[in-house]
Amino acid sequence: MNYKTSNIAPEPRKFWFALDNAAKIFPAIINENATAVFRLTAQLKQPVKIKPLRKAVLQAEKRFPFFRVQLREGFFWYYLEHFPKHIPVEPDEHGLCRKFPNGSLLLRIPVKDNSISVECSHILTDGTGAFEFLKTVLILYSAECGAEIPNKYRISETVNRISEEEYEDAYNRYFKADIPPMVKRSKAFHLPYPLKSHPRFTRQYAIIPLEEIKEMAKTKGVSITVYLISVYLYVLQEIHESLNGFNRYKKQKKLRIQVPVNLRNIFPSKTKRNFSLFVMPEIDLRLGHYTFDEIVKSVYHQMKLETDEKLINKNISRNVGSERKLFVRGIPLFLKSLILRMKYYSLGTSQYSGVLTNLGKIDLPDEAAGLIDYFIMTPPPPNKMLKISCGVAGFRNKLTLSFGNITHSQEFEEKFLLFLRDQNISVELKNK
Amino acid sequence: MVKCPNCGVEVEENANFCSLCGEPLLENTAGNEAFIKSGKLRREDKLLTDYQQLTGFQKRKIFWQISGLILISGIIITVLIDFIANNSITWSKYPAAVSLVLFINFTLNTFLRKRILLMVVLSFLSVTSLFMLFDVFTGYTGWEIKLGIPILLVAYLTVLILIFLIRKAKQKGLNIIAYSLIAAGVLSICTEGMISVYSQNTVYFGWSLIVMVSVVFIAIPLFYIHYRLKKATDLKRFFHI
Repeated sequence: MNYKTSNIAPEPRKFWFALDNAAKIFPAIINENATAVFRLTAQLKQPVKIKPLRKAVLQAEKRFPFFRVQLREGFFWYYLEHFPKHIPVEPDEHGLCRKFPNGSLLLRIPVKDNSISVECSHILTDGTGAFEFLKTVLILYSAECGAEIPNKYRISETVNRISEEEYEDAYNRYFKADIPPMVKRSKAFHLPYPLKSHPRFTRQYAIIPLEEIKEMAKTKGVSITVYLISVYLYVLQEIHESLNGFNRYKKQKKLRIQVPVNLRNIFPSKTKRNFSLFVMPEIDLRLGHYTFDEIVKSVYHQMKLETDEKLINKNISRNVGSERKLFVRGIPLFLKSLILRMKYYSLGTSQYSGVLTNLGKIDLPDEAAGLIDYFIMTPPPPNKMLKISCGVAGFRNKLTLSFGNITHSQEFEEKFLLFLRDQNISVELKNK
Repeated sequence: MVKCPNCGVEVEENANFCSLCGEPLLENTAGNEAFIKSGKLRREDKLLTDYQQLTGFQKRKIFWQISGLILISGIIITVLIDFIANNSITWSKYPAAVSLVLFINFTLNTFLRKRILLMVVLSFLSVTSLFMLFDVFTGYTGWEIKLGIPILLVAYLTVLILIFLIRKAKQKGLNIIAYSLIAAGVLSICTEGMISVYSQNTVYFGWSLIVMVSVVFIAIPLFYIHYRLKKATDLKRFFHI
């Protein structure tokens, strides 16, 4: 690999980069409702102290100079350009996951009562990248509040040694030419609920004891993620089966969940920009009713199969390969956006019925961890096909399930949580 | 440390305002909530100027008053000048009649907004009488009965149908442009037909057919884009560059 690992901080004035492979789709599809903005929230045990927080954010910015960018339009592609503004710390009173207006940073920090959040556009980075930022803010906040923090988290130590690897397009690095293209998947089932009018995005979250669900997953011999995907599919099956005859006939019978996978675990990269892909475990209702255990078994094997390194590489190559073709690159931006938008609905959303994104179990140094009660991961507002999505974050003994919803119905969440309760897992539902 | 009652964060002991949300921090928490609420409202109010806060009807009424003042004083002034210069009313009856009809139409638009049919009928009658007045002024050639009023009637009918269609359209976008184009085409066909009847006593269509055909050729792809290509048409996004 011929990228530089030398110790250069990006030089502010001429600092710009192209959107990474995953981000390229977003500028074309973003609107007021489908904002592609997700939120990570740290719920503290005490009210937020605003002055130390501001100081912490100012320091953290220095560590993440490549996040201080705005989106610009080129003739052929969008690109990100250095934008000399500070990351805004705002009162959290304007609603969740709003779109970032043109000519602003793609990152904001809403604060209210006990919670510090990071809202981040997917153009900039994925959940893991944004979480790195939130983590840094929290550690520095704990330091500002008087805690002693380990050396490696001190900003002055690292600020001048930012490797180019941290803002590389890692998809590009792991691209291999001459890999056969993917076969298109069939369409999947979508929830039938009517949409809410503006503002249509709401979220509620539930807190579950991590130990209980871990125990439950263990009895099935699978991970928490696989367990939750199985519950998701089981609930979708239940909803599908409760449809009336004509609807059931009309709707697609494939249930498929899109599960983002953090590629940094498979391909080593320190990038703080997008580096994730999806796997899509599915069940096919044309084959008959599935019991929960059958779903668990099937999902377990599908996840194992689909996270195979070679297969993931095939997907990367397909995605990157199509953007590298000369005739694709030569299309003016406005035509490109049009095509991307159509492709997004035909190849993207129509293929899956739901999203479950798991940030995983969160690790923090003890000083910072002591301040925090739990984390919430709110995925971007689902689009009008998808309607509902689910984000998961585990911290110490608390696992939060966060449901983003744009419909009038809460049947899905109710069934999901009811299923967990039936499995003797205690669920504490919070509204917001 | 003091807690901001609005956003719930802790701020410096001696702070007067919350550094996050900008709300004033008062010592006496009793009545604080109410004060902050009013503070919020005040800020929201400030964002709008006085004019922006008016309702649509109030804005129209202001426009009606101003235009009425200008038109009526205009009528009086022109008539006076004409009378002083010529010792009788000659040329000034034209601008006076036009201004009067304009004022009638502004009045209708201001007060009969909700009753669109009545508004259009009255407006049609006012313009018809303007035409008749012109004919009276120029000496009874009868052009308004044979030509002016029929064309006016068709124009009013087309616009009325157009308004109806636009109001009925669930999604407004390219289909509105297509409707308007077709309306213009229909109008030009009627106009040419009436002119040919008036001048040559035969029904003859020439240029208007060309207009109609070209308009239809533009409207069809617009309808196609609107109803087939994109279910939710959004002009801005569709032509997003």
